[in-house]
Order: sequence, then structure tokens, then C-alpha cells
Amino acid sequence: MGIQEVQNQSQTPAYQKKKKAGRAEGFQESFLQNLKNRDRAKHAGTAVEKEGKQAAADTQAGVKVQADKVGMGRVGVSPGIRVTAAATQETLQAVEVRHMSYEESDHVRIAVKEGYTLKGKREEGGDARVYVEAKYEDGRVEAYQVDMAKVTGQTTHVIEQFALETMEEA
Amino acid sequence: MEQKWSYLVEEYRAMLYRIAFSNMKNRADAEDAVQEAFLRYMKEEKPIQNKEHEKAWLIRTTIHICLDTLKSGWYQKTVPWNESFENTAKNIYLPYQVRDDETLEAVLRLPVHYRNPIYLFYYEDYTIHEIAVILNEKEGTIKTRLRRGREELKRNL
Repeated sequence: MGIQEVQNQSQTPAYQKKKKAGRAEGFQESFLQNLKNRDRAKHAGTAVEKEGKQAAADTQAGVKVQADKVGMGRVGVSPGIRVTAAATQETLQAVEVRHMSYEESDHVRIAVKEGYTLKGKREEGGDARVYVEAKYEDGRVEAYQVDMAKVTGQTTHVIEQFALETMEEA
Repeated sequence: MEQKWSYLVEEYRAMLYRIAFSNMKNRADAEDAVQEAFLRYMKEEKPIQNKEHEKAWLIRTTIHICLDTLKSGWYQKTVPWNESFENTAKNIYLPYQVRDDETLEAVLRLPVHYRNPIYLFYYEDYTIHEIAVILNEKEGTIKTRLRRGREELKRNL
């Protein structure tokens, strides 16, 4: 085998070059796609933020329809939205989970068909507040404190309704 | 030693009875299963590591005793004395008020691989991790059974 022949063998075959070029193009395409997706996500985030602000405004005005759409009715669908929605309502405040047992609770709701359980206990102290702990089918546990002075008897929100029931039981 | 056993019985009797009842669906057989579980615990030679292990061991043993009894040829030839009375969910004596007896009845009628995870998760308030340890399954399996069991429950109701 001559020197020339060895040199030829060491060169990258044409098909490999083609493959590499293809990869580079693919990378550029996916990079562009990622940028586009990031842009879309930014816009979506702004939209969600706007929706949240709108919900807060509605709640203050006494119209809770928007907030109820993203409340307990959507159990297990979008936890982030649910917590945000809870925070936007003045009556609900997300708090640290205490892992309260059924025996310690004043009121218990077991919703097997819907995939969640609720435990409620009236808080000690001057203000009328109820601690509500929610456990979902996927294992998540969330806790809220409900300010009963701001909850109306006609509320359609599941956690607020449950807090009202807890006050009656306690 | 006697004090230790009486403490153990007092601590777990009610909870084990409910779990046994959810499987046997009659009071006498549930009580027999719980008694057998305590006897096995007393005879157990391997040391029980801690309180959580003790609890999980007792629940697992009670469930195994129930399932073995249900599968036995002798049991399959027997007829409950008063089925309509014994099957009611009221005999389970939960330590809190359950307003929806119909759903509890439907849970008790589910196949065993759905019934135990659902009962432990919703009615005894165990976490998915604890149920996985008790039933000796993976957490993913328990999650799947909870979801599918709930779907079957919805179809049945």
C-alpha cells in the first residue's frame, strides 16, 4: 500500500460528511424551535398573569366566577394554577402542611370519586380561621388557612364551603 | 410483658379491625383475623425495628390472613349468617363521620388489588409511600391502582 493510498483512507468518507452536515442543520432547526417555544411560553406566562390579576379584581368586586374556575373543581389538573388562584382570593391563604390526622380534625370530607380528601380544623385564637388540608390522589398534600370573616354563605368554592361546614361542626 | 401486649392491642385493635372488615365484610371473621394477627406478632421471632415497622407488619399480616381465609376451600363453602346486615358499611366503625355510605360500600366491593390501596389511602389516611411499604409494592404501582380503582368505582356507582 503506497503513501497516497493511506492518505486517501484517512480522509473522511463523503457519506459521513453529509451526515455531519445534516446534524448541524438539525441542531440549528431545533435551536430555532427552542427559541420559538421560549417566546410562546413567555407570552403564555403573561397571559396567565393577566388572568390571575383579573381573577383578583373580580374577587374584590364580589364576582368569584373566574376564581372558581381555577379552584378545587380542577383537582389534580394543574397544581400551580390552583395555588395561584387560592392566593389571589383574599379568603384563602396557602400555609405549611401540618399533617393533621383524621382524629385531630373537626371535619373530614372523603371524595373518593373525585380523588381527594379534605380535613378541617377551626384555629384557636380570636380571629375566625379554619385550617384546611387537602390530599390528592397523586400524593400531593396542600394546606390553606381560610379567613371566615370574608367567606359568604353563598360561596361556591369547594374549600370555602368545606371551611363553613367545619365551623358548624367545631 | 403483659402490659406491652395490652398496650399493643389497645393501640392497633380498632384500626386493624377496620382493615380486616374491609376485606372480610363481616364482623366475626374480621375479629378472628385481628386476633390471629396479634398471635402471630407475639410468636414472631425476627425483631421489629420501630413503631412504623410494627404498624406496617401488623397491617400486612392482617391483610394476608384475610386473603388466605377468603381463598381457603373451607371458607368458600360457608354462607354468611346474615349477609344483608353484615355487609353494611356502618359496621366498619370509622373514628370520624362518613356522610357517603354508598361510596364506602362500593369501595368494599372493589377487587382486592384496588380495595386495599383505596381504603388505606382515603379512609385510613395513609400516604402512597406508607401503602407501598405495607403492601410490599412500588409507589408507582400504588398510584396506578388508586387511579384505576377510582375509575372502576365511578363506573360501579
